[in-house]
Amino acid sequence: MQFGERIITLMAALVLVLQIAVVAQRWIVTHIRIFAIQSFLLAMIAATIAWFNHAPHIYIAAALTLVVKVILVPIFLERLVVRMDIREEIKPIINVPLSVVIAGGLTLLGYVVAESFYKQNEPGLGHNELAVAISLFLIGFFTMINRRKALTQVLALLSLENGLFLAAISLTYGMPLIVELGILFDVLVAAMVLGILVYRIRETFESMDVSRLRRLRG
Amino acid sequence: MMERIIESVAQLFLLLVLAPLVTGVIRTLKARLQTRRGPSILQPYRDLLKLFGKGMVIPETASWIFAATPWVVFFSTILAGLMIPMVAADAPLGLFGGVLAVIYLLGLGRFFLALSGLDTGSSFGGIGSSREMTISALAEPAMMLAIFTVAIGAGSTGLTQIAGAAIGQSWRFLAPAQMFAFAALALVLIAETGRIPVDNPATHLELTMIHEAMILEYSGPYLALVEWAASIKQLVLMTLLINCFWPVGLQPTWFGFSALIGIGWLLAKMLFLSCAIVLLETVNAKMRLFRVPELLAVAFTLGSLALVSTFLF
Amino acid sequence: MLLLALLLIPVATAAASFLVRRRKEMEAANLAGFGLVFLIAIALAAQVLARGTVSLANSFFYADALSALVILLTALVALVCATYSIGYLQDDQQSGELGDDPSGKEQLAQLRMYYTLTPLFVFSMMFMAVANNLGVMWAAIEATTLVSVFLVTFYGKVTSLEAAWKYAIIGGVGLSMALFGTLVAYYAGHRLAGSDALAELNWSVLAQHAQLLDKTSMRLAFVLILMGYGTKAGLAPMHTWKPDAYSEAPVPSAAILSSAMLNCALYGLIRFYILTSRSLGPEYPGRLLLLFGLLSMGISVPFILVQKNYRRLLAYHTIDHAGIMVTALGLGGALGTLGLMLHMTFHTIAKSLLFLCAGNVRQYFKTDLFSEIKGSVIRVMPLTGIVFLMAMLAIIGMPPFSLFQSEFLIVRAAFDGGHLLTGVLFILFGTGVFAGALLHVGGMILGTRGNTPVAPHRPWRDGSLLTLAAALVIIGFWVPAPLLELIRGAARVVNGK
Repeated sequence: MQFGERIITLMAALVLVLQIAVVAQRWIVTHIRIFAIQSFLLAMIAATIAWFNHAPHIYIAAALTLVVKVILVPIFLERLVVRMDIREEIKPIINVPLSVVIAGGLTLLGYVVAESFYKQNEPGLGHNELAVAISLFLIGFFTMINRRKALTQVLALLSLENGLFLAAISLTYGMPLIVELGILFDVLVAAMVLGILVYRIRETFESMDVSRLRRLRG
Repeated sequence: MMERIIESVAQLFLLLVLAPLVTGVIRTLKARLQTRRGPSILQPYRDLLKLFGKGMVIPETASWIFAATPWVVFFSTILAGLMIPMVAADAPLGLFGGVLAVIYLLGLGRFFLALSGLDTGSSFGGIGSSREMTISALAEPAMMLAIFTVAIGAGSTGLTQIAGAAIGQSWRFLAPAQMFAFAALALVLIAETGRIPVDNPATHLELTMIHEAMILEYSGPYLALVEWAASIKQLVLMTLLINCFWPVGLQPTWFGFSALIGIGWLLAKMLFLSCAIVLLETVNAKMRLFRVPELLAVAFTLGSLALVSTFLF
Repeated sequence: MLLLALLLIPVATAAASFLVRRRKEMEAANLAGFGLVFLIAIALAAQVLARGTVSLANSFFYADALSALVILLTALVALVCATYSIGYLQDDQQSGELGDDPSGKEQLAQLRMYYTLTPLFVFSMMFMAVANNLGVMWAAIEATTLVSVFLVTFYGKVTSLEAAWKYAIIGGVGLSMALFGTLVAYYAGHRLAGSDALAELNWSVLAQHAQLLDKTSMRLAFVLILMGYGTKAGLAPMHTWKPDAYSEAPVPSAAILSSAMLNCALYGLIRFYILTSRSLGPEYPGRLLLLFGLLSMGISVPFILVQKNYRRLLAYHTIDHAGIMVTALGLGGALGTLGLMLHMTFHTIAKSLLFLCAGNVRQYFKTDLFSEIKGSVIRVMPLTGIVFLMAMLAIIGMPPFSLFQSEFLIVRAAFDGGHLLTGVLFILFGTGVFAGALLHVGGMILGTRGNTPVAPHRPWRDGSLLTLAAALVIIGFWVPAPLLELIRGAARVVNGK
């Protein structure tokens, strides 16, 4: 179990590093791939927990996460990017070095919040993973405000869900299976719906820049 | 005392001999990866030899700094190198401050190099110096934070203690604090040694060169000294990176058969790191200069996360 | 049994509308489906009144008085809007709003999309109301957002896309917070039901053992849920998507969004309120609810006063009423909860009626702005004009209409409970809204200026308008006893058994 915990902590740390890398980089395709890798790591964390705790229903959640978030959604989004032929993010609202430092600050905030949650002798992982989950959540929020391309906002929304998945796993070893099913289904449909919307925005506005969506006011 | 001197000499010898080899290996591997034949591994030795035999051209407007810099850079780098545990966990020299002294010695060299770039009065030198200073202003805090993390973990800034704390605890590397510090240091390594994506060591285009611009006016033996010092610095930083976190194969002492095993491990680790650097250089393009702060901001954030997380765990 | 039928029939209606070929068949399928759903909703209400609660499949589906009320209101709105949309979409097709493809295929595709998505929308709302498991309830609410996004982009204009994007993103972010809150609530109670993992998120189980829930987690959970489901309900400051979405969606969809979906979002909030108030006591959630409720009411006042677009005015009005209902929930107690349930019922009828009238005005005058209509709707479209004015008076709380009674009850609850500031602010904001709405809408409807010709008769639309208007007037004076009993039952659920 020690070994398992170590591996899980390692993977959670990798997820966090990847999330900070997302804040720093500009290419939408890279963003999609980093999301896929993060989801893969999360699925592996779930599978590791299932292995060490002999809880087979978590395997199903891990497998579903793998199928939906690692394969289906990234493929769909990448195809969308190719069709729309926009690869690069425009300048974010807060410049990159400052955003990265803010992301670091949000991670610390995540740790502080996770500390208040953690109780000994409960099922669930240590507060490291919960902190990473809350940081994912907060950094996803921040990315959503900071970036102006519609597709990046969609990816930020999806990484919010990732953070919640990790939080669920670390607090209670995941939610009941049917809830996980429902959530994953919703994520898939949401990705598709938002993807279609982004495509239409691009067609109508000739750009994915959401700061152009300003006609309705008052 | 005698042992110390022998150790120092041996490590000095290792530094001087190994550094050009590492540069050569990286260059050749990169060429091979790009399906070129590339120079031979021993080419840097030949280059150094050639340079030592050539005459020098010194700008009229240069002052004593121009003449002094190659010596300062060379010797400060060697001194820093003597403080790193390369083969044995016990480093030959242990100046006050341990790893901080290493960083500042390297910083001293860089300072003089930047001054000499300005000293020549050519615009290329000025470009190189200002760019180098910008990058180092951002890279050094990151490096400090990562080093402090490691030092706190080991309870001391002495490199011998740091390496010693890491020996025998290979799982310790998997702790998030160590991982973040490793990532931060790796990014800083790229910036400090002037590798793609921060700086291209093979270019002489005004748009892209940083280190090369500072040393553009050097020729002959001075150039040989500066280039040698650069490769020694690269070797020193690579060794520092690996031996602080994953000191597999560090022997307890220099003497006897264990020295050979240690050297063997060192070569293996340097080969591994060289491959990683080559891969990184081939896959990435050089970043535009004003984007380099972004990369270093990531390193800084990772470093601070590493430091803070040692207190949170 | 009834619960299953309630869920299956909308799905079947959607499938039928998707598969048939002609417009009339789609309209018929929709009408029939929603008519059936309405009847089943009444039957369900009767069953709940008789038995207390109805559950199915090992308590996976669960309906008590609160669910039954929400379901009944949703079914009513859906039926009326389905009737209205027949005439509305016919008019749109004729005037070329749906596209000018000469062969008619594009228009047919649009119609098919509308008639398929609306039953699915209603299905997800029904599912939410009968789901016992909090996580499944969340998934259903997220589904309502996803389905209604395409309803908002129905007209395909540049502004509709913008509205849909804001709706989708703000709704998505809000619901992520709600998911987090659900997760934390699960954590708070995950030891309670022993080994039955699924039951641990069941509302009925959690409500029974609410005293044992972990208090700190429930605090955090409630805040997250309030912000999450509050976004969906349109509480300030998460309300910015509402004016855009309501003014860009086709009018029947906007009517359903503003009444039924608002009720569903509030339903989710109420369920969590019950858990939190039983676990932590009603002061903590009450204070938060009062804050958000009064804020929503307050924010809507300036926007209503300077509004230029009557559909956006209605949207801000909805924000105001969401604030009223949340304030009532926050006040709690017997009076507050009764006021809440009454207000929910009356508001549903009045608001959907208002949207339908607005749709009539828009289709005839082809503009959304007050300045271009300039008045005399009452001369041009007498029925619409009268009903619009009446509904507007009703909704801003003029006696003797029903909303006056519910708002009065809420103010009384405020003063009785000692929340003097709340009561005063409530009256103040209500007055502001009263003045602004009456000014703008009255100016639009009354008067005899202008020379637009009198509008022709529109049977479908006028019929549905009249039905709702009649219901509104009647309910002001006499609430049928079973309905009143249902409302009281719902209030009792909130108050605590």
